[in-house]
Amino acid sequence: MQEKKLGDYIVTVEKINKTFPNGVCALREFSTRIRRREVVVIIGPSGSGKSTFLRCLNGLEEIDSGSIVIDGIPLDENKKNRWEIRKEVGMVFQSFNLFPHKTVLANITLAPRLVRKKSNDEAAEMAMDLLRKVNIPEKAESYPSQLSGGQQQRVAIARALAMHPKVMMFDEATSALDPEMIGEVLDVMKNLAEEGMTMIVVTHEMGFAREVSDRVVFMEDGYIVEEGTAEHFFTNPQKERTKLFLSQIL
Amino acid sequence: MLQKKSKITTLDVFVLLALLGALVYVVYQVKVKLNYNWQWGIIPQYLFRYDAESGKWVSNYLIHGLLTTLRLSFWGTLLATILGTVMGLLRVSKSLFHKMLARSYVELMRNLPPLVIIFIFYFFISDQIMPIIGLDDFLRSSSAGTQRLFETLFSPPQFASAFISALFTLAIFEGAYITEIVRAGIESVEKGQWEASHALGLSKYHSMRHIILPQAMQRLLPALAGQFISLIKDSAIVSVISIQELSYQGTQLMASTYLTIEIWITITALYLVMTLTFSLGVGKLEAYMAKSQA
Ligand SMILES: Nc1ncnc2c1ncn2[C@@H]1O[C@H](COP(=O)(O)OP(=O)(O)OP(=O)(O)O)[C@@H](O)[C@H]1O
Ligand SMILES: [Mg+2]
Repeated sequence: MQEKKLGDYIVTVEKINKTFPNGVCALREFSTRIRRREVVVIIGPSGSGKSTFLRCLNGLEEIDSGSIVIDGIPLDENKKNRWEIRKEVGMVFQSFNLFPHKTVLANITLAPRLVRKKSNDEAAEMAMDLLRKVNIPEKAESYPSQLSGGQQQRVAIARALAMHPKVMMFDEATSALDPEMIGEVLDVMKNLAEEGMTMIVVTHEMGFAREVSDRVVFMEDGYIVEEGTAEHFFTNPQKERTKLFLSQIL
Repeated sequence: MLQKKSKITTLDVFVLLALLGALVYVVYQVKVKLNYNWQWGIIPQYLFRYDAESGKWVSNYLIHGLLTTLRLSFWGTLLATILGTVMGLLRVSKSLFHKMLARSYVELMRNLPPLVIIFIFYFFISDQIMPIIGLDDFLRSSSAGTQRLFETLFSPPQFASAFISALFTLAIFEGAYITEIVRAGIESVEKGQWEASHALGLSKYHSMRHIILPQAMQRLLPALAGQFISLIKDSAIVSVISIQELSYQGTQLMASTYLTIEIWITITALYLVMTLTFSLGVGKLEAYMAKSQA
């Protein structure tokens, strides 16, 4: 990992604020920049705003103030920009959210066909490549309900990759899995990182953070409390709050 | 879900006995007090009669009525489903205008007596709309084959206008209920499905069409089938506008034969055969869906 060269900034987030209608403030003056090929792991206690941050990045939640620019496209009032950004940013959810009425293959080919206007054959061929990449080509014609959790999540990753995103976001992608299935999903994520994908990963898997991440961000109450390399976090955390949190999860 | 074996309790026995007693009482009253002269023998010929000309058994008034009821219910449900889906989509739309439009429709249909709706819409459609469509002229000038097809699918060509008007009236009425079913179905699809779909860059329209609506419809299937059964019952109301469905045929026969009780018992039985058969089917469908969802 040492020799990995990071590129220019692909994600620029400046002073975003997000308060939900019920008055809960999930993000406060949150700023960060992410480089191409960088793998950022976000950790933090429950309710600290990790999911909200990811959801703001692809416009699933609207920010109240501040600015988000992804690959040169500002996420603003302009709806076209939002759709443009969603094409460039892939998202993997804790609960998979596969489309239960469609086969694995159809789950993967749907967006490329409708959004990227790929032909059926082209989309299917690419989907099969991706299924091989996540090690379940034999499940192409299965329905999501026929797969294990780990397999479903790997399909969800393939589905997101099928749009050829420039950034991949993972929101606790392994939290809903049985322990014996976590490894197979993490392996896919590791491979992706090695291929140079820009990744923002919310996770409790400290092994993954240590092995794969270029930077770890610890957030609480909508702020970044501390950030640095995984090495820094495990050997030499500065803030009391960080130490307390790490002692709880390690 | 745990399936409890239904057991017959004392209360059930009591209720059953009471019902049986009531039945015996009614029969006794009719038989002894009214001194009613049962003439069941006349009824079967109104179901099927022997046609001397062709030397075959052919269906008669009651079966014609039954088929008309089924045709009305089938096409009515189909039309109402289309209308209900459109209105259901408007109902969950973000636009206030769309929402109000759909809401007004639903409230209007549900808060007026069906009879009033039937009269208003029937006369409006048959007077104002049917002449514009020119269905009667079309059928009159079309080939015998087309006419026969129309008769098989809908009604005898000479009643086409009335039948189609009644059909639309029923569909508009029934569509209000389906609107609410569709709305509930759309809202029952998990939020995560919208999010996954949006995160992939699918537009609202594509998300609705390819992700949300198909799942909603799958869940709605039993409810829609139930609505079809409702329409079998509700369609009796169009007898007031002389559509020759089952109830209408009953009234006509009663007027000409005076066999009030025999005829209405037969009509009741025919309705029950239809509704109970389809209810059984819907029950099976529901069980099947529940299994395939798991
Ligand atoms: N749709 C919503 N409406 C209202 N409040 C919300 C909504 N979504 C999140 N919140 C609140 O915003 C805060 C941040 O939530 P968020 O889901 O981003 O936390 P998180 O760090 O992802 O937590 P977890 O580790 O539990 O997933 C929480 O207090 C949460 O209750
Ligand atoms: Mg979360």
